[in-house]
Amino acid sequence: MLTDKYITASCTINKGVVSKNGIKLFENDTNIAALLLSTYQHLQLNYPKFYKMDNLSKLGWLTAEVLLKDGFKKDDYQPEDISAILTNANSSLDDDIKYLDSIKDVASPSLFVYTLPNIVIGEICIRNHFKGEQAFYIQDEFDADFMAQQVNYQLDNNISQACICGWVDVLEQDYKAVLFLVEKKRNENSVEFSAKNMRKIFNKD
Amino acid sequence: MSSSVYIAGVGAISAIGNNVAEHLASFKNEEAGMGDITLLDTIHRQKLPVAEVKLSNDELVAITGLPKNISRTTLLSMVAANEALTDAAIPDFGSLRTGFVSANSVGGMDKSEDFFIDFLADNNKGKLRNIFDHECGSMTELVADKLGVSDFMTTISTACSSSANAIFYAARLIKNDILDVVIAGGTDALTKFTLNGFNTLMILDKEFCKPFDEHREGLNLGEGAGYVVLVSEKVMQTLAKAPYCKLSGYNNSNDAYHQTASSPDGTGSYLAMQGALKKSGLTPADIDYINLHGTGTPNNDSAEGTAIKRLFDPSYPPMSSTKSYTGHTLGASGGIEAVFSVLAIKHGIIYPNLRFETPMDELPFEPETKYLSGQDIKHVMSNSFGFGGNCTSLIFSRI
Repeated sequence: MLTDKYITASCTINKGVVSKNGIKLFENDTNIAALLLSTYQHLQLNYPKFYKMDNLSKLGWLTAEVLLKDGFKKDDYQPEDISAILTNANSSLDDDIKYLDSIKDVASPSLFVYTLPNIVIGEICIRNHFKGEQAFYIQDEFDADFMAQQVNYQLDNNISQACICGWVDVLEQDYKAVLFLVEKKRNENSVEFSAKNMRKIFNKD
Repeated sequence: MSSSVYIAGVGAISAIGNNVAEHLASFKNEEAGMGDITLLDTIHRQKLPVAEVKLSNDELVAITGLPKNISRTTLLSMVAANEALTDAAIPDFGSLRTGFVSANSVGGMDKSEDFFIDFLADNNKGKLRNIFDHECGSMTELVADKLGVSDFMTTISTACSSSANAIFYAARLIKNDILDVVIAGGTDALTKFTLNGFNTLMILDKEFCKPFDEHREGLNLGEGAGYVVLVSEKVMQTLAKAPYCKLSGYNNSNDAYHQTASSPDGTGSYLAMQGALKKSGLTPADIDYINLHGTGTPNNDSAEGTAIKRLFDPSYPPMSSTKSYTGHTLGASGGIEAVFSVLAIKHGIIYPNLRFETPMDELPFEPETKYLSGQDIKHVMSNSFGFGGNCTSLIFSRI
């Protein structure tokens, strides 16, 4: 059963700029650590676990915070009805390298527990109590057609009713995150859910 | 849907025995399986105790008749699964709808680690035929073929609750009339990968582990495999000997708290135990013995204990962690401990929790420290809690 689907929000963190639905919210282009911390502070978030996360989880988690704030009606859904499908090119390599470095002295448990890319999905889902399907794919570049296929499968078959999907990638000072909230109902900002529209938002910067 | 699922056979291999009879003898003699590392090639020899199966790969190859290039995980699986199926002695096995649901967490990592020593030194070296069963599903396939199971096989990998989930899933396959007989459980061999990983997490005890003791310092890794044979009511009626017991309850719940730690209040374990009781139609007072997850880490035992207190207070059944004998066998632990739970019912025994000295400050109960026989045991709860908060409880009931 094909159903109508909409991108009801999007959030991009790229090149020192945090933007939502195409509108710039915040800027800090010094370095990734400073950007992540200042974005967290700017949003006045209170989630101590943030400080323990690796950069991939921090980036994905913050992007999801911005994506979901002001507008997403979580209570309209059962926890099992919200899925998360993320992709990137560098897996957890950013943290893997730091972990490998720590082994020279005393291997760090806190770095070790982030040496898997899908942990970022866990952090987003624990924060928001999402319990739907989850998948993480590693691909050379953002593949909008592949993502559309994945999300359509979830929503058309009523496996999920809403989906957080997109790209969260970090390797040292290179990073980019673009997340989409896909729902079956429209709102004032929504555009039709399609590979073309995802690509347009992804490439907008 | 409402029909019962029976346990018709059991098989186990671990540091305390190569078969079920040897396990029972070790329990009675209070002989733990931990010791210095003798088989695994690692820098942690003489530093960290582990609970190794006391057979080399060559000896396991000779026993199983499998080829030499097979992972130790597969070899252990074959020994225990074959014992379970032989024990069940199911008439006309080949004519029934049969399945093999086998769990593991480490796959053929042991062989891959050996491969990479040669390969990284010279990319033209290293035999690819030694790592063909690296992937977790490969061992299930190899063993299923050997057992003559052809209708259904699958592999479950949910860390330390893996094989409890395999048994849970197998029961559902039978209840839904998809299969008649399922051999279910799991296997895991010791590897550098797991030993180094747990060492990084700083949860390995440098001495023999002390589950549920105030001064516990961590777990000892073990290895092994354990399987039960689950059969439908219809198959049960054709068996020459009486089945051991029923699997009456099961539940899986998730903490969603941390990658590797349980929530302090043991939410996941509480929900799993409570859900399994509900499924079986029993109350906490009906449980005669709890086979604890009891790894010996400060975090697990505190969370599990807190959850037990919430559910069972003020009257507690006898309980113990058999990991004080076998070490923590990870993906195999739920299967091995399911076998122990079944044997507790069959032989009326409660296993001692070895090396327990000091009760935990926060808990009003303590584990059983003596080997007890001649007990009237009707219902046993078996706990298996995994990384990622993946918590499973099974309940076995006398018929």
